[in-house]
Amino acid sequence: MSTLPALLGQRLRRDWLQLVLWIAGIAALGGVAASAVTTTFGDETERAGVLALTATAPAILIFRGTPNGADAGPFAFFLIFAFLALMAGLMSTFLAVRHTRAEEEQGRAELVGATPAGRVLPTVATVVHGVLANAVVGLAVAGAFIAGGFEVAGSLTTGAATAATGVAFLAFGLFAAQLFRTSRAANTCSVAFVLGAYVVRGIGDATGTYSDDGQHVTPSWVSWLSPIGWAQRTEAFAEDDLVPLLLPLGFAVLLVGLVFAFQSVRDQGASVLAGGRGRATAGPVLSSGTGLAWELSRGAIIAWAVGALATGLLATSLTPLIDQIGTEVPAVAQTLEQMNPGGSLGQALTATFFSIVGILAAAAALQVVIRARQEEAHGTAELLLAVPLSRTRWLVGYLVIGALAIAAILVTAALGAVIGAQRADDPAQAAGDAIEAALAQFPAALLFLAIGLVLFVYLPRLTIALSWAALGALAVLGVFGDLLAPPEWMADLSPFTHSPIPIGDDIDWTGGFWMLGLAAAGSVVAVWSMRRRELAPGG
Amino acid sequence: METVVSTHGLVKRFGRVTALDELDLEVTRGEVHGFLGPNGAGKSTTIRILLGLARATAGEALLFDRDPWRHAADLHRRVAYVPGDVSLWPNLTGGEAIDLLSRLRGGTTDRAAYATRKQRLLDAFQLDPRKKGRAYSKGNRQKVALVAAFATPADLYLLDEPTSGLDPLMEQVFNREIARVAAEGSTVLLSSHILSEVEELCDRVSIIRAGRLVESGTLAELRHLTRTEVAFVHEPGREHEVAALDGAHDVRIDSGRIRFAVDSDRVAGVLPALGALGVQGLTITPPSLEELFLRHYGDDVAEVDRSGGDGSSADRAGTDSVEARA
Repeated sequence: MSTLPALLGQRLRRDWLQLVLWIAGIAALGGVAASAVTTTFGDETERAGVLALTATAPAILIFRGTPNGADAGPFAFFLIFAFLALMAGLMSTFLAVRHTRAEEEQGRAELVGATPAGRVLPTVATVVHGVLANAVVGLAVAGAFIAGGFEVAGSLTTGAATAATGVAFLAFGLFAAQLFRTSRAANTCSVAFVLGAYVVRGIGDATGTYSDDGQHVTPSWVSWLSPIGWAQRTEAFAEDDLVPLLLPLGFAVLLVGLVFAFQSVRDQGASVLAGGRGRATAGPVLSSGTGLAWELSRGAIIAWAVGALATGLLATSLTPLIDQIGTEVPAVAQTLEQMNPGGSLGQALTATFFSIVGILAAAAALQVVIRARQEEAHGTAELLLAVPLSRTRWLVGYLVIGALAIAAILVTAALGAVIGAQRADDPAQAAGDAIEAALAQFPAALLFLAIGLVLFVYLPRLTIALSWAALGALAVLGVFGDLLAPPEWMADLSPFTHSPIPIGDDIDWTGGFWMLGLAAAGSVVAVWSMRRRELAPGG
Repeated sequence: METVVSTHGLVKRFGRVTALDELDLEVTRGEVHGFLGPNGAGKSTTIRILLGLARATAGEALLFDRDPWRHAADLHRRVAYVPGDVSLWPNLTGGEAIDLLSRLRGGTTDRAAYATRKQRLLDAFQLDPRKKGRAYSKGNRQKVALVAAFATPADLYLLDEPTSGLDPLMEQVFNREIARVAAEGSTVLLSSHILSEVEELCDRVSIIRAGRLVESGTLAELRHLTRTEVAFVHEPGREHEVAALDGAHDVRIDSGRIRFAVDSDRVAGVLPALGALGVQGLTITPPSLEELFLRHYGDDVAEVDRSGGDGSSADRAGTDSVEARA
């Protein structure tokens, strides 16, 4: 039978670059964590100290996992595994939806379904494709740890745990694709499930029980509700127990069984949950180009704002912990000090978290600009520009919504920080620092909005790729620039390098004013040039 | 007569591809103007330039005597547009999309009147406004754009293959709407390759090919340029007598009938001779728009036919005339 290989080949051909990037990214993350353990926390007593500290503020386990001893191997697994599983999960659910619901929605599945491949075999091919991709992820992760000098058995367990979690999420993506009529809904549901699995196991881990020596944590029952929590039970490098992986794999088998059960009875293009009927008439917001830009961007802005709220909460609520670490683990204090020289450790932590908020705000703004590009590529911008709405007015709508998105994200982050600061020694001071830190991110985020708009006007077809690439590269340079120690001119390229940083009672706004000026200039150039720009349809 | 749409020597290049090659087009106020051409002839490009969505490489395009690129938003107050392949916002319902476009066009200032117009069109086109953009079929997406276009009165309707994907019943509804706006004095530029539609709706027709205008005029004028088909029952030897007639071309025998073509303005001159021959079962068929069309694309058809080995003489006649013009 040559049909299945043909379907599989088509999937590999379509995805190979994307998968190579995902897998390389996941493996690199594992590798970076492995080397961080040996460089930053090189000393076993230091690691034991860090683990003991987590017992005083278990909230930090939300981001990490459950400690299983201070040896380098278990410590690395504790540091990074939940992230690896999260990444494998996102890769897998996107893959699942891309080849099932999105294909059905676009009508391509119909073309394939009319061949001897039929309705069901393409889903089989997607399952095989996704499992293969996760197997490669597992091998790459294991390889990264082995290359970092970690023992082979534990590295392989880590890889297997990552792959098994990925397969569980793959199955969930396929399941969501059966439930919903649109790929957007299926993707949203899947991403929420993956993030939910991460948070749920975080809560379970943080509410777990410490062993007497403070070096081991048994998570509470809550972690058993999450596929990532299941895979953490392998306790790689400590126990290397593969039995818990039967849970994610069993979960996957069950869901895939349901997927085929649904697919064998439903029509092509239909879904288990019927798409709801919408409004017959438009609400008052949909009366202008700007109103439409808001409607189209609202969901994404809210999602970014939720992330900003959580980041803001952590920025101030972790301060008591960090002061303690500062005295007991000089390495951590030194790192934070490098990032933010001169201020108090609490300020340093707040500034570090708010530099992440700045990236979130820039990302939200870029996503608004990208929405404009998607409107153009998809052809809906043409309908709008054929009514009395000029190209410039249309673009200004996205500029306004982009600026609004930045403001919304900084305000929610500041709000989170103010709430988190209530437990600090000096809540008023901590809250004030946070609000200042939020304000300090405004210019850099606005500059990214302007960069996005200029890209959109001059290089429309590259807008999406270049926007994310620029944000990624400049964010790494700006936030981790001091750690990576690039040449100064390179670090200076990043707007985030120039964000004002509160140090003590002082804050130097010079960089901020420069960036505001540049952002204003860039926006004016973009809007002005839009007068002379043709519509550039998809391609 | 006032000119609503005019282009002179309009050129549009995409890289090395020339989409429009010195196109001249005139549409006068109040007419329903058919804009004919095969796929890729440049119809959509022309309409996009007229809407100010694309800029002319050279030449001039005017809408109501103004440059559509510079004054796009202003001109669009008087224009309704329906693309041939409608994209809708995936998360907006059809009803929301119609309302948004109507509000932007300023058609909703009298809310009650707008609601009435919209409801009438939703009923006529049998469109469910509560579905989300992604759930609509091709034909229903087209209906959303049509309802949005007709729900707000316009001076000029730019319609780019507006009925693609519509069923014949809905095409009738569309035809009625065109008749209605034409009766109200609006101008319509209707791009199409459905000849029966153009034949039924349009006062004047422009035919373009490879970005150039090849023919323009009323249907009656265009018919004049082509030949009328004459046929009667074959009797042996008659073909020679017919071939000798002045103005007769392409004499052939086909399923027991003699067929030949006569220049449309010389039909009357041929009739006495046919009478003298005492022919039986005489039919005289004026050229359809389809033949008109084939006359201009005949060599493309002949090309296909030659490779298929089955060229009809009518097509070859088309080839000759096009070559003669070129």
